[in-house]
Amino acid sequence: MKTAPFPLTTLPLVMLALALSASATVAQEKAPASEKDAPFAYAAPAFIKELDTRFPAQPPVPPSPPRYGGVLHFPAVVRAFDPTVGYRPELALVWDTLTEWEAMWNFPEVQRTPVIRKTLVTDWQIQNPSTWIFKLRQGVKFHNRPPVNGREMTAEDVKYSYELLKDKAQYSTRAALVKTITVIDKYTVKFELSMPDPKFYLNIVDSLSPVIVPREAVEAPGGLAENPIGTGAFMLKEFSPGDGALLVKNPDYYLKDRDGRRLPYVDAVRLYFTKDAATETALFRTKQLDVMRISTLDQLYALMRTTPDLQLYRVPSFGWGDYGLSMALDKAPFSDVRVRQALSMAVNRDIVSEVINKGDAALYGPFPWGLAGYTKRPDYSYANLGPNYQFNPKEAKKLLAAAGYPNGFDLELEWAEFQGWNYGEFAQLVARFYNDVGLRVKLKQLETSTWLAKVTGVQPFTHMLAAFSPIGAGPSFMDWVYLRYHSSFPKTMNREGISDPKLDDLLATWRQDPGDKRPVLQKAIWDHLRKNVYRITTIVPPHYRVSQSYTHAGGNPYCWFPGYCSYEAKTAWLTDKAPARKFDKFAQ
Amino acid sequence: MRTYITRRVLHGLLVLWLVSLVIFSLVRILPGDAVIMQLDQAAAPTPEALKRARQELGLERPFLAQYRTWITGAVQGDLGRSLITRRPVTQELLKRINLTSHLAVMSVIVALLIALPIGVLSAVKQDTMSDYVGRLFAILGLSLPDFWLATVVITFLAIWFQWIPPIGFAPLWVDPVRCLSQLLIPAVIIGARLAAVSMRMTRSSLLEVLRQDYIRTARAKGARERAVIVRHALKNAFIPVVTVIGQQFSVLLGGTVIVEFIFLQPGVGSLILDAVLLRDYTLIQGAVLFFATVIVVTNLLVDLSYAWLDPRIRYR
Repeated sequence: MKTAPFPLTTLPLVMLALALSASATVAQEKAPASEKDAPFAYAAPAFIKELDTRFPAQPPVPPSPPRYGGVLHFPAVVRAFDPTVGYRPELALVWDTLTEWEAMWNFPEVQRTPVIRKTLVTDWQIQNPSTWIFKLRQGVKFHNRPPVNGREMTAEDVKYSYELLKDKAQYSTRAALVKTITVIDKYTVKFELSMPDPKFYLNIVDSLSPVIVPREAVEAPGGLAENPIGTGAFMLKEFSPGDGALLVKNPDYYLKDRDGRRLPYVDAVRLYFTKDAATETALFRTKQLDVMRISTLDQLYALMRTTPDLQLYRVPSFGWGDYGLSMALDKAPFSDVRVRQALSMAVNRDIVSEVINKGDAALYGPFPWGLAGYTKRPDYSYANLGPNYQFNPKEAKKLLAAAGYPNGFDLELEWAEFQGWNYGEFAQLVARFYNDVGLRVKLKQLETSTWLAKVTGVQPFTHMLAAFSPIGAGPSFMDWVYLRYHSSFPKTMNREGISDPKLDDLLATWRQDPGDKRPVLQKAIWDHLRKNVYRITTIVPPHYRVSQSYTHAGGNPYCWFPGYCSYEAKTAWLTDKAPARKFDKFAQ
Repeated sequence: MRTYITRRVLHGLLVLWLVSLVIFSLVRILPGDAVIMQLDQAAAPTPEALKRARQELGLERPFLAQYRTWITGAVQGDLGRSLITRRPVTQELLKRINLTSHLAVMSVIVALLIALPIGVLSAVKQDTMSDYVGRLFAILGLSLPDFWLATVVITFLAIWFQWIPPIGFAPLWVDPVRCLSQLLIPAVIIGARLAAVSMRMTRSSLLEVLRQDYIRTARAKGARERAVIVRHALKNAFIPVVTVIGQQFSVLLGGTVIVEFIFLQPGVGSLILDAVLLRDYTLIQGAVLFFATVIVVTNLLVDLSYAWLDPRIRYR
């Protein structure tokens, strides 16, 4: 970290100069290199084309062998380093799940089948769809810290952890099905489920599933917050809420890379709990962040102009981060399929894409394209979405008239500011489209927490809610579709309260199928949903992960961001060009 | 004097009790709670799981029972544990107060160093070029929002100098160079705004004093202008300035949140904002009670300082 003292006596002069020249320089910074006088928006298509050429979807394979040492820096948001309190993907740095995704998402043109990396579990057997036997890896040790002192992890720890965490709000999505856990021997556990699930092994992957914690640490004074001990690749050295966290390498970590080298490669990981995009980019420009996520094309453009040697991984989103509209289906007129179809047709998704991210976004349907069998980017088309997703105001008006609303109706559209999203402009745009087909839209801005309460289904919304679609943590149809559309689930899962017997039948058939017919059933569910438009989806911008030229952020190039795939920090490494860094504590 | 102080302390205690009651009620009126705010977007908990989580945090208990538990602890110096980090609120506050008080004190010093000379010069040289420049500075300071200034400064420091203030707070007495490197720029940004307010107040107050009879008398007696300004006028002119600085200092303790965010120097302001956004009731209550105490005490000290500045003032 560069910490040389700044010449303090010159500060007032520098600041005055900065302030006076700010506006002019901001304009210069945004000016495209080729056409200095052209507004940014006109350069966007050329910039997107440049990105397509320079940074293809599949990034280059990192060179080998990796270099050991160094401290990897990246931004994160962690409120509590304690899995009993809340969930964050970054907790996977300290606590392992039974397995984890080797490829976090099944990106088009990269990898169709997600690969599961066997971490604490090495094998499993299915006795019947309700009974699963898991074999545990032998010789895995908890961090060598009191009160656990590096003892071996066993089947008792798995049973204890699942019983402790499975009903917690943050884990219940995945683990609520688990009825009982039986220890068969020191390295074997049996899971009995409350209902059959032929793909239950997908429910023990990644950190939205219960992590494995030692009883001694949980029961010690201060619990896991004071005794953050797990089996993960890193040990928490300092957690400073609001500042960041410092995690050092676990010297006893059990996983090795494909060539048999010990993991992790870096000596430590430092997380910065940044809250502002300007701060993040300033940290990146001064090489205090090695890898970070960028929210918008504008931000990426500005950063690339000042840090031309950065590496970019631009990944089509699986579905996370879309712009959608939920409707109160239990109320008229939204209970009428013709109205829902009209509301969807009234939205011009090309313009949404232009306004939200300068045109760098993909169309988005009822659920991720990949789960419906569309695995190539050209598949992400209006043709595969059908007429309800194509901009057609005339047809929308006809459908509204047929539904008994020739003069439109009044509706309230609720939205809120939310970090990383641009719902303000999205809501205004939607209101404009709806006005054009005769609807009278009242925009209602909510305080973010109120909006989140509605997004999570804890509070009802009046008519329509601008929000991202309910998502899953991995490429699991169960997370993304089954839990979100089946009528048996409460609104905390099925936000709109969708209740469609035919859909329920399709989902139930999918649930009971051992696997052969699932792709066909998933496509049938897709077709049913795009016809009935229970939720209006529009676009989803890609993920932009930028990293410094000296960083190889993960031996696995498919992970789009260590913060959301934090176990990849264990395979990240830094070249000898990386700045020398100390293990400074945040608070002195 | 003693009677006055006793009465003010009792009034202060009453204010603090009312504040505790109001804040305890208000946070519970807000929609959402700590359980919902902590959920990841991918989580889909059942209502039963949410209820269990609320029970664990004690949010399902009757209102009065919750208040009684909290206020009893607060009176004994225990403000409870954060609903999010599960750490003691007092510990969280003390850690942040260290940084915030550094930032606030440095901002006030920067403000005074700028405001007093310019304010005095502006008043003494009224309607001259010096006065115009001083007033222009004041208007500039008031017009530039600190979030804008902070964003511009951090962006251009990074682009031009490949440097930004280091992250990770070090108190002045531990590592003075690091502390100044971290906090001087944020302090100048905050101080610039405060300086503008204080400069205007110094100028107008000094102008008013300079028109008083006793100043005319001093001049008539042949006192030198420097002596008239420094010895006779300034002390009296400072009473409203001290009031403004006192009020601003209280505000600074919680009001530097934007600059804290941008420079990644988490103080009390960002702690409270996070607590409000995450519905961390115990942390909000503890922080508000703490600030109420600071404001009550600061006001008392400011009132008492009037007697030192103007011996004619007597308390009953």
